[in-house]
Amino acid sequence: MKRTAFVLASSILLAGVSTASAQTMSYAEAISQIATVCKNDIARYCKGVPLGPRLRACFDANAARMSPQCQQTTGVVYASITRRATAQRDIGDVCSADILRLCGTSFADANLVTCMAGLAPQAMSPRCYQTFVDTGWATEKARP
Amino acid sequence: MKFHHTLAIGALLCAAVVTAALAQQSINSSQMATSLANVSGNNRLSMTGAQMRQAVLDYIRDNPGALPPRPMSFPQLEGLTQFVVEVDFDFNSAVIKPSSYRTVGAIADALHHPLLLGYGFLVIGHTDSVGSRQSNVVLSQRRAEAIREALVDPFGVNPAVLEAVGMGEEQLRDPAHPTSGVNRRVQLVNVGKKFCFGRSGEQFLCQ
Repeated sequence: MKRTAFVLASSILLAGVSTASAQTMSYAEAISQIATVCKNDIARYCKGVPLGPRLRACFDANAARMSPQCQQTTGVVYASITRRATAQRDIGDVCSADILRLCGTSFADANLVTCMAGLAPQAMSPRCYQTFVDTGWATEKARP
Repeated sequence: MKFHHTLAIGALLCAAVVTAALAQQSINSSQMATSLANVSGNNRLSMTGAQMRQAVLDYIRDNPGALPPRPMSFPQLEGLTQFVVEVDFDFNSAVIKPSSYRTVGAIADALHHPLLLGYGFLVIGHTDSVGSRQSNVVLSQRRAEAIREALVDPFGVNPAVLEAVGMGEEQLRDPAHPTSGVNRRVQLVNVGKKFCFGRSGEQFLCQ
């Protein structure tokens, strides 16, 4: 009984932590923050550098000279992009057991997101839930 | 189903008629994903990117002149689901302008949509008629590759599902105004399911 209560309490805690951790931004929102906040820094330090790995490398190389706002934004934005991309890449592995058990479907089924979004967070393993949140699929889908 | 169909056609018409209105801010990645996912049956592209690039060069060789006599037809692309967006580049360069970063991000959002998991896409670049036809093929190829590169890193799209093709000015959208901005565009084409997924999320080549 005590053990059950403990497990329950910790899963609620974990779920609470997961819910509390910031959501990832859509890629459109994330990269447009860089375009807006870092406009002048790009023009000054990274002119002609293509969007992609080379732009990020340019930001890294010039971090000390960039405006504090741009420096902070690139940090937050690339962290969000990486978290979302990693979650979208890994969700099939991380959640396969939960998906099969709770949705009765394999990964990449058209109804997967609808099913997962309808589940209580505690129903999934904490890691699966966090990965699902990080993919942004639930919130993207909810958008009009 | 009917509804989806209407939506996709609506989006395509929109894309075809009012590119200018489809500029940066108004791109909706969910709508783009829904349109691109509207695949009828088992439609697949029957030629490789290399064959398409060769076909464009052959078309220029067989139809010489300062301008293409008529837009090159690509029957292999007909019947494939597609979406047209506008991406701005620096003049005569393959560097995407920061004002179009959002659009590239929105394409990434769409390609990562669960509806499109495992599908392959062509990223086709088109230019206006400024410059020679051959140089525009090269420029549009580099531009399509620049978009592909950004979609892969930082946005994590699987490089194996993306093929870049430059069509230069061979498919002007507004042949009466060959230098008009409406001709400069990027076409995303769903070329069919490439990767399938197993029960434990593992990915493998379909068929």
